[in-house]
Amino acid sequence: MDSSEIRRGTMTELAHFIPDENLRAAILAKFAAESRIASTNVRVGVLNGIAHLAGEVDSLAKRSMAEDLAREIPGVRGIVNRIEAPGAPNPSRTVNLDLSPNPKDDSP
Amino acid sequence: MTSSASLSDSQRLNRVRQTLSQVRHFTDLPPKVMTAIACAATFCRFDADEVIYLEGEPAKSLYILEKGWVKATRMSPEGREQALWFLESGEAFGDVALLTDTPSPGTVVALEPVEAWAIEKSDFLCLIDRHPQLAMAVIRRLGERVLYFIGLVEDLSLRSVEARVAKTLLKHAGVAGDRLVVPRRTWTTFDEMATRLGTVRDVLSRALKTLEDEKLLHVERHQIVILDPAGLAARGES
Repeated sequence: MDSSEIRRGTMTELAHFIPDENLRAAILAKFAAESRIASTNVRVGVLNGIAHLAGEVDSLAKRSMAEDLAREIPGVRGIVNRIEAPGAPNPSRTVNLDLSPNPKDDSP
Repeated sequence: MTSSASLSDSQRLNRVRQTLSQVRHFTDLPPKVMTAIACAATFCRFDADEVIYLEGEPAKSLYILEKGWVKATRMSPEGREQALWFLESGEAFGDVALLTDTPSPGTVVALEPVEAWAIEKSDFLCLIDRHPQLAMAVIRRLGERVLYFIGLVEDLSLRSVEARVAKTLLKHAGVAGDRLVVPRRTWTTFDEMATRLGTVRDVLSRALKTLEDEKLLHVERHQIVILDPAGLAARGES
């Protein structure tokens, strides 16, 4: 195990301790920085590291993009996507829980 | 969510007072307190399946339901969705997070088109501060909620799925003609029932089949007929 693996492992564990309100702020900041999502009214709540998304967008692509952006935040353990969009499941809810410690971690 | 600005002030006040008069413990509030609450309330409308608020989202308002059903759920850290409660007209929700100054502990979704009155957090806290009768009504409501959740914990930890199904069906049964039935609302899918009972669809299906095999009930397309109320009640305590 080299030092980079040790560092990644530590970061993964640390991500568990990121408070929900900080995760929520990070997701909202990520949305604000993405022009296709920033103009929408997507709402975000985070509890136990699981991000809950709601609101309405005009395409399935934007719905998926919001979910992908939220998942990129270290410490987010899973997504419950309730965003309404044309063609989205009705009732609009996709539970996509990847309860790994850190979905972005690419360590083997 | 849509708001309505088309109501005149007097229409609005009357509607809020009428709705408040159906909320347990709010019924006996003095007229001046009712009016103060009515003045702070904003009308809002939600479509079926629309999210009213999300778990982990900052709490903004207290809601008083005028029309329609809503459900509150919470996702466990392991990813299982558990129903917290189902509410209909004449109920209020959203108060816990306002009073504890925490994010919303559950997600609330409209099951049908919903009409409600929202009171913003600062207005709600101000009203409680000014009107001790309202504070007492809120305390009583919270006390009842605590008792409800004690019952839910007891059900989930001590009773089998069959017992929970039996108990829940009897609680919602009504007489139709000469039969005791539980009508199924359009949103009462197997998934919804499973969420309510803290289980999953397959386990619920098996539990209903077991109770049907025991000749305690019969599942029909739009209703569940209770064949043996006494037997089902006994199952509810097992």
